[in-house]
This record gives sequence, C-alpha cells and structure tokens, in this order.
Amino acid sequence: MGIDVISAHAKESVEHIFFRAIRSRLTMEASDVCEIVPADAHGAHSLSDGNLVILTISGIAFRLLLILQYDEDERTQSYFLREESERPFLEVFLEICNLCCGAVNQELLQYFPDLGMSTPYVLSARCRPYLEALKPEFLASYSVSINDAVRLGATICMCAHAPIDFVAEASALEDTSGELELF
Amino acid sequence: MSKILVVDDSSTVRDEVAGFLKKNGLDVDTAVDGKDGLTKLKGNPGIRLVISDVNMPNMDGLTMVEKIRGELGNSTVNVIMLTTESSPAMKERGKAAGVKGWIVKPFKGDAVLETFRKLAS
Amino acid sequence: MIQQVLVAALAGSAVTALVALAAYRLASARAVHRLRAEADRQTATLSQASAAQRELIGVHEQHMQELEATLAQLRDELKTQSDSADAVRTELKAALDSKDQLGHKAAQLAAEAARLKGLAGTFERWHEQMISLMTQNQDMHTKNHELSSIVRHVVIVSLNASIEAARAGAAGRGFAVVASEVRALAARSEELSKSYRDSLHRNDLTTTATFQDIQAGGKMIAASLSSVESLANQFHATLH
Repeated sequence: MGIDVISAHAKESVEHIFFRAIRSRLTMEASDVCEIVPADAHGAHSLSDGNLVILTISGIAFRLLLILQYDEDERTQSYFLREESERPFLEVFLEICNLCCGAVNQELLQYFPDLGMSTPYVLSARCRPYLEALKPEFLASYSVSINDAVRLGATICMCAHAPIDFVAEASALEDTSGELELF
Repeated sequence: MSKILVVDDSSTVRDEVAGFLKKNGLDVDTAVDGKDGLTKLKGNPGIRLVISDVNMPNMDGLTMVEKIRGELGNSTVNVIMLTTESSPAMKERGKAAGVKGWIVKPFKGDAVLETFRKLAS
Repeated sequence: MIQQVLVAALAGSAVTALVALAAYRLASARAVHRLRAEADRQTATLSQASAAQRELIGVHEQHMQELEATLAQLRDELKTQSDSADAVRTELKAALDSKDQLGHKAAQLAAEAARLKGLAGTFERWHEQMISLMTQNQDMHTKNHELSSIVRHVVIVSLNASIEAARAGAAGRGFAVVASEVRALAARSEELSKSYRDSLHRNDLTTTATFQDIQAGGKMIAASLSSVESLANQFHATLH
C-alpha cells in the first residue's frame, strides 16, 4: 500500500477530537461515565439494529462523516429525554448529535479554516455496511456505553482527495460554549 | 407585547431557550426560520432582543439580520446569535451585519440571563 | 608836458602793458604751464580712473558672466526640478488612478462575493430535492416490503395447495407440480426483493452522503465568500 492520504497523526487526531466531542456532548451530566472502545474489541457491545444519525463536515480536501448508531429502547430514551418525556425522542437526540458534530467542527476549525457542516439525517442501521461504497481513506467504528446502561455505536468515515496531515492538541481547549461573546 | 424573539428551526431549542426565559419572567415569542423571524419582527415593534440560530432552512440567521438592518431599516433591535458555528469568518459576517453578540451552543441560561434582561429592556 | 606825460603814460602803460603783457604772458605761460600740468595731471588721473574703471568694468563683466553662468545653472536645475515635479505629479495621478481602480476592484470583489453568496439559495433547492428523493426511496422501501409480504403469502398459499394436491392423490399431481413451481418463483422473488432492499439501503447511504457533502460544502463556500467580502470591504474602506 502506498503512502496514506490521511496520515497516521491525522487519523489519531480526528479520533481524539471525536471522542472528546462524544464525552462532552453525548453525556447529559458531567458525572456520567462514558466508555469508548473499538467496535471489534473484546467485550465491545455491537448494535445490530436500530437507526443511524449521519452528519457530514466538509473541508476543501476532505469530507468527514460522523455516524451515531442508536437503538430506541427504554434505557436510551429515558437517558436522553430525562424529565421531558413529552418531547419526541428523535428530535432531542438529533439536537444532541448536532451539538456533538458541532464540537468536532469547532476543534477542526483550528486546523482547517474553511469548513462547513451539514444538518443531521436518520437512516436505517442496515445502511452501515455500505459506508465502504464511499471509498473512505479512514473508516473506524467504536462502541460507546454511558453509565454502562446506554449503548451507542460511533463511526468515523473520512474521504480525502489530497494529503491530510495535522496534530491536534492533546488536551481539549477550554470549552467556551454557552458563553456570550459580545462584539 | 413580547420583548424577546427566539428564532431556531429546532423546536427543542425553541422550547429550551424560550421556556427558560419565560420561567424567569421575560416576554418571549418564537419563529421557525429567518423568513418567519422577519415577519414576527415586522408585526411586533416591541421586540428589543432577537436570539437566533445561523443554520436554518428558507433563510439563514445571518441573512435575516442583514435584512433586519437593511430592508426593515431597524438598527436598534439587539441581535445575539446562538449557534454551533464558531468560525471567525462567520463571526466577522455577523459583526458586519450588526450582531451584538455570539453564543456557541449548548445554551447555558444562567450565564447569560442578566445580559439578556438588560438587552431586552 | 602833457605830451611827455601822455607819452610817458603811454609808454608807461605800454611798458606796463608790455610788462603786464609779459607778466601776463609769463603768468599765462605759467598758468598755461600750470594749467597744462594740471591738465596733464587730470589727464593722468582720468587715465588712471579710466583704467580703473575699465578694470572695474572687466571685473564687473566677469561677475556678470559668472552670474549668468550661475543663472543658467539655476535655470537648468529649475527645469530639472520642474521635470521631477511633473514626473511626481504624473506618478501621483497614476497612483490616485490606480487607487481608484483598486477601490473599484475592491468594490467589484465585494459585489461578486455577495452575489456568489446567493448560491446558498441553490443549496436550499438541492436540499429540498434531496428530501423528495429520500421520500421516493422510502416509498420504494415500502413497496418492496409489501412485495415481500405478498411473496411470502404466495409461498404459504402454494404450500397449502401442495398439501391439498397430495391429499388428492394422482389427480392432484399436475396441480402439485404447478404449486411447486410457484414456490420456486416465490423464492426467487424473495431473493430479488432482498437484493433490492440491499440496493435501496446502499442507495440511501450514498445519496445522503452526497447531499450532506453538498450542503456542508455549500456552507463552507458561503463562509469563505463572507470572509472575502468582508476583507474586500475593509480594503475599500481604507482607500477612501
């Protein structure tokens, strides 16, 4: 195999940024425990069914698809809806996925000044095997569990047509979200 | 007459933000996109503060602000953007359009309540 | 006597006259000599003065020449300065013109960027079309599912028919064959239906991925154009 279009550093960096976003935006409380392991790791729980939420971040030389797989079971619904049980689960969950992707977008903006983000879309989990058809240069799946009760799937699918190489800062920058920046 | 207008295509966000502000005694109306926001603003001159998302169908938030200042000729209403966008280019465009402030989601009500109250009075 | 006196007087006066004349002549001569000397002195003085004056004139003329040379030099310098000033004026005008042009170009850039931002409207339209496509896809899923149900139903019916045919014995044998073939067809249909369902899922994913890329890409371009427009406007402002 020739030189990777997406360097090992870049792959690692995207992974770390995605994990940070998952930990900060998919958890409803700061005290919740969020575990992320590679999908084929020993003991990893894999979701066979359910739905996918897909979001795309497009840059000049690449596109990054972030896929979150969920099962609309009792535990998942009660975790994300909390007291607001009158609101449709999907609406709340889509907004949370949107925030998660937004966090990835914000971090990537430090390394790629021109980026755009799509709105989220829901597909059947049966579509997941066809990610290969997009011919990604980087494809990796993970199992996410929150409080050992809520199970989610997370996948990075990244296509690039020019070399991508960057190193993300190891620690998350101070999260200034929610703060009002006055002009 | 409402003092604050919340504009976002997500009903979750509209409910969250408007709900929080109403709970704290403020008068709030909502709109689902930029076009709706313009209509609501035209019909309600008592609105002093607009809180708006950027990415919305039909008309995005920044285009709405540009039209508020331009076509509507309203240079006094305060506008704050509440969005996942944080790129400097977007903020520049907002600043040029006369946006007063920028908040990156998620919304943390307590941190901004007092400022919102001041801007809406 | 008087004659003598007269003569004497005459003589005397003649003498006197002669003496006077002589004296006069002498005096005259002296005077003339004096005058002449005086004249000579004056002539000498005059010559001296004249020479001095000629010298002065010479010096003066020299000064004049020098002054004229200096004047000519000054004129040349003035011309050079004037030419430089003209050149600078020309450059300034050119700079002002090009500043005007730059200003004009900056305004054009800003206008182009603003116009291209209108592309956002196109992406909106594509987004709507995507929704419509995905809805069609959803319809195909539903129809396929219905087809599957029908096929399964057919299989059940043909199985039942086979059972009935077996009970009917030899008379039912022909019927049993048909039932068996119907089942084979149904199985084939079911395979096709599954394969079609897989294609639909593959199609859903690639369509979604493409449209999201277009949507996100459009926003990226709009953001970059905003940045260009803002820069062009700032540049335009600094020129005025």
